[in-house]
Amino acid sequence: MHNSAISIHGLEKYYGDFHALKNITLEVPDKQTLVICGPSGSGKSTLVRCMNGLETYHSGTLKVLGLPIGDDTKVMDQVRKRVGMVFQNFNLFPHLTILENCVLPQIRALGRDRTAATREAREHLQKMQVDIHAEKYPDQLSGGQQQRVALARALALKPEIMLFDEPTSALDPEMISEVLEVMQELARADMTIVCVTHEMGFAKAVADRVILMAEGEIVEEGTPEQMFNNPQHQITRDFMEVVNG
Amino acid sequence: MAIEAQAPPPSATGPAVWLRKHFFATWYDTVFSLVFAVLIYLALKAFIGWAFVDAIWRVENKDLCTHDAGACWAVIESRGRLILFGLYPYEEQWRSTLACLAVIITIALSCLPSFWSIRRLPILWIAGFATFVLLMRGGFAGLELVTSEQWGGLSLTIFIFSAVFVIGMPLAVLFALARRSSLPVIAKSFGFFIDIVRSLPLLALLFAAAVVVPLLVPDWLQGNKLMRVVIAFAIFFAAYQAEIIRAGLQSISQGQEEAVAALGMPYWSLVIDILLPQAFRNTLPSTINQAVITFKETSIVTIIGFFEVMASGNAAIGSGEWGNQYVEVYVFLALIYFVFVFGLSRYGAWLETRMRLGHA
Repeated sequence: MHNSAISIHGLEKYYGDFHALKNITLEVPDKQTLVICGPSGSGKSTLVRCMNGLETYHSGTLKVLGLPIGDDTKVMDQVRKRVGMVFQNFNLFPHLTILENCVLPQIRALGRDRTAATREAREHLQKMQVDIHAEKYPDQLSGGQQQRVALARALALKPEIMLFDEPTSALDPEMISEVLEVMQELARADMTIVCVTHEMGFAKAVADRVILMAEGEIVEEGTPEQMFNNPQHQITRDFMEVVNG
Repeated sequence: MAIEAQAPPPSATGPAVWLRKHFFATWYDTVFSLVFAVLIYLALKAFIGWAFVDAIWRVENKDLCTHDAGACWAVIESRGRLILFGLYPYEEQWRSTLACLAVIITIALSCLPSFWSIRRLPILWIAGFATFVLLMRGGFAGLELVTSEQWGGLSLTIFIFSAVFVIGMPLAVLFALARRSSLPVIAKSFGFFIDIVRSLPLLALLFAAAVVVPLLVPDWLQGNKLMRVVIAFAIFFAAYQAEIIRAGLQSISQGQEEAVAALGMPYWSLVIDILLPQAFRNTLPSTINQAVITFKETSIVTIIGFFEVMASGNAAIGSGEWGNQYVEVYVFLALIYFVFVFGLSRYGAWLETRMRLGHA
């Protein structure tokens, strides 16, 4: 087995003239929970979206589960079946029921039969405590419930790595904790997790490592204790002050 | 000081209250209500008098059909078969009736959500059209051969409409996807093609299919005239419908595509399971509108020699015998069109409600 789930070396990315990612080098060991934080526009979402090929990069190497991320669609199919992602805006399929949202990807991506897929889907919906909504449609659920459905949908594919792109940023404050709770369970269950978030409570509770990005660069990295109690860079100090209110 | 709970204000109901609220709320409401009540009364009285009370129903009483008598429905009794069947041989018209019913049943079945699957719809339509063509054409098992030049009337109208719709819709999906293709050559050329077709009058396109194509294309590839006309009409329909579908695709957020990609689902699944259902859902009113327009435009095939229901109606009053009864014939035709168009729009409304409730 690989001991690095994600391995990045010298990654560069531009949007036109804008230098979005500057010489990113990063190793995420298996089963680690990594939290990426930083001010908006710092490139943290771009970085996590590069990890499953939703964004392209211009140079450097990026390997996930030992597979090179790039244009090879066969390799990318492999990667995406083994890497789950949860988005800021949930991105559930609005025309399908909650159950079908979780069943269809299993059938289409993994070729599972409907019976097995339904059993798997129900199991994950139950873990996320949204199984009573299985027959409803996404717009009948609250944001927090929708995000938990999105998690169930991703987990039903049994991914080895979960990517989170600001999973609680679109939620009302009272719903943030219900999503963070299930994410914390995942982290404790030894899933490899990369999470872009401003929720420092989550980072303190379960992160093995925190990195802070600013202007496309990794400014500082360390354990949550180091980052919160003894930040080395001025940018980190400023950021921690803002998010901790 | 405590405030005592009071009973809610009496909620007034009953017909008198309803009437006052909707028709006599203010003095100008009252004036409008009264004026329109009188106008509606007069119009209805005149129409009912003409269409029912003073109407002449039987051909035996044809002599009573004068200018100041009521509607002369005798013309429908006498010429109804011509209107409904066109030039189709009299003895064989039962076949045309059955064929027409086959297509109507196919349309009705494909309106049911339980038939909406990639496998069921094509099978249903192939069976429906096969039944139609076999019955109409005959030439086997003792059925007399009737070539498509003799087909006509309502069954021809319904056949042309449904064939245009059923061939045109997949073409429209193809055009819309091609125009959004990431390959510039495909996107540009389909865009250009759609714009060309949309800039041509339907009549010119149908003329070209009927008259010009036989001059340019080898015999074995020509098919018959009806087939060429239906295909040209379907391409015309597809060019418009493609733009409707494209609008529907553009209204879907980028996040849907990203979710599909992140879940490792294949491209065909993105298109068939995620994008197209949402695109159709988002553009249902325009799609129904396009269907209604197409149904009415089928009457244009008259000009290239097909006797659809409108042309048959004109033929019914073309002879001197019933020449004065054109109003009755047009009212009858309008009723036929109304039944179909009203059915379509009610179906559209039902679909919209159903989708608002969240169903696919």
